[in-house]
Amino acid sequence: MGLEYILVNIALWFGLYLIVTLSLNLEYGYGGIPNFGKAFAVLMGAFAIGGIINRILIYIFSISGQIIEASSKIKTIVNSIIISNPSIGVALFLLSIVLSFILGCLAGALFILPSVKLKEDYLAITLLAISEVTYLICYYNVDLIGGYYGVSIPDVFSFVPGEKRVFVFSGIVLLISFIIYLMLNKLLNTPYGRLLKAIRENEDVVKAYGKNIMTIKIKTVSLGSGIAAIAGALYSLYSVNVISSSFTRVEWTFYPFLMVLLGGAGNNKGILLGTLIFVVVKILLTMYKFEISSILNLPFEAVWLEYIMFGVLMLIILFYRPEGLIREKPIFTKPIKNVIEKRKARK
Amino acid sequence: MLVIEGALVYANLLVLLSLGLTLTYITTGVPNFAQGSFAIVGSYAALTLLRLFNIHPYLSIPVVFIVGAILGILVYLLVLKPLIKREASIVILMIATLALDLILLGILGAYSGFLERLTHTSAAKFIFTHLDFEIYSFSAVLFVSFLVIFTLIGSLFILLYKTKFGIALRAAMENPDLAEIMGVNVEYTRIFSWMLSGALAAVSGCLLPFRQEIVPGTGPIIIVSIFAASIVGGLGNIYGALLGGYIIGISESLVTYYLSRIFGAGVLVYGKAFSLLVLIVTLLLAPKGLVSINWSKILKIRRVFKWA
Repeated sequence: MGLEYILVNIALWFGLYLIVTLSLNLEYGYGGIPNFGKAFAVLMGAFAIGGIINRILIYIFSISGQIIEASSKIKTIVNSIIISNPSIGVALFLLSIVLSFILGCLAGALFILPSVKLKEDYLAITLLAISEVTYLICYYNVDLIGGYYGVSIPDVFSFVPGEKRVFVFSGIVLLISFIIYLMLNKLLNTPYGRLLKAIRENEDVVKAYGKNIMTIKIKTVSLGSGIAAIAGALYSLYSVNVISSSFTRVEWTFYPFLMVLLGGAGNNKGILLGTLIFVVVKILLTMYKFEISSILNLPFEAVWLEYIMFGVLMLIILFYRPEGLIREKPIFTKPIKNVIEKRKARK
Repeated sequence: MLVIEGALVYANLLVLLSLGLTLTYITTGVPNFAQGSFAIVGSYAALTLLRLFNIHPYLSIPVVFIVGAILGILVYLLVLKPLIKREASIVILMIATLALDLILLGILGAYSGFLERLTHTSAAKFIFTHLDFEIYSFSAVLFVSFLVIFTLIGSLFILLYKTKFGIALRAAMENPDLAEIMGVNVEYTRIFSWMLSGALAAVSGCLLPFRQEIVPGTGPIIIVSIFAASIVGGLGNIYGALLGGYIIGISESLVTYYLSRIFGAGVLVYGKAFSLLVLIVTLLLAPKGLVSINWSKILKIRRVFKWA
């Protein structure tokens, strides 16, 4: 265990948070949409597994009873099937990812719909309110995804021996986050990415060029929510249960914003750096929580200290380096490069 | 009867909170995401006075008012003023208040642990209902909350409409640039609005434990109702906060209560969902809030239809 365990934990959380921060960067860094309800999309990803896949499995194996008990029954049945037939596990894994992405996209589009025409402050308030209320409903209503009790979900990699599981999972999460990174980089280097930046800078100009800002914003948040939902799904598949209390605003809205602003909004390299720094600090803090508490002789839980620290860190970033560690660079498209070369040649 | 009583108390407290939110929004242009936590600071101040000095929460209202005022001033001077000076955008200011909310949450959580160690009684979760008494078979908190509303809002309106400072304040709210040209110090009006906002929130938080259980994380939950109240009334208008506070406060309690009588107690968790629904409907129909609707115009149109 020891160092190995810390490293693999960092890798896992880096992958998970990278997916969310990349999606937030698409919305906030590029599109300028202050999505204060990022946690909503992540929760939707978890919902796709705990609420939908679970129900499908329960229906297939025709198990009766409430979702909470039925889910633990289905877990043992499906786990034993996956052990004897790993391909089913892999298929279930892929199905979960695809389903969570689709649900995330749909939910994201609905999520922004009421406020898409509004100014950024109203937009942020509405998104935060929707996210918060969805969280409360999922938390207090035990019939949806088990509420505060949570539901169990099958371990899609139950064929992997227990001690290697976390390594396999971290590898897969890292791989998926890397694929998303490459795809988003590609996507944002197209006219669509530049259009997003144009909307961020000045909506009226974009409107004057005949673009429909509303549909672009809906598409962007829909895509961003779909991507973030994948993170929620991966997290649930890793922890083999879905408890809505792990999808709080602090963990999945505030921290992603912190990472994006720390690294530098509007450029994906900065996001990589910001996420890495944050995750390393956070994992180390969680690992040495008890040591810190006992050394400082804190009369309270270390989590409160973590909140204060990260809140203050955010304020420091906003005060002294709002553009982040890595600054956003101007875009050089082919026509612009040609112009620059011609100018150089003339000189 | 008990339900209506509770709804009225809740509405009164929500009015105080949304009034503070609207005030700071008008003067600084940023919706304060930490408004809920401001209230919980008030709750914990009242709890401290109760546990350490055995002062009844009703009597500690003036002290809590001052605590909230100091908190408001500190928040403005330490967090918002430096950012506004650096010409930060609204989104950056909003993120700053979000960070502030987290800091306050952390401080409250840590403080509850500290208070627990000091008094050897749980402070992570508390309620004041057992301290309440009855006046003419109504709970005292109903009278106290109305008394607080009348005194605070009454003096606020006297200040706004009868004093020179109030006129300057209103001018700065209407048009800060023009007011500055006329010699009004906009900075004072901003500090004043944050001070008042913190004080109103803290007083509201002092009475909130009479109606619901308080934990350090209550602030981030009630913020939904506060925003709903402010936006339904109209975020840019002080009267809007009054109107919206009563609409959301009463409907959130009463509607869920009557729905629960039809559909069973499971509906009670949807109280906040109802606020959200009202908020969304308002945003779709009248984004500037109910105050912005030109009722006489709508009535005129109706009259025209009648003649036709």
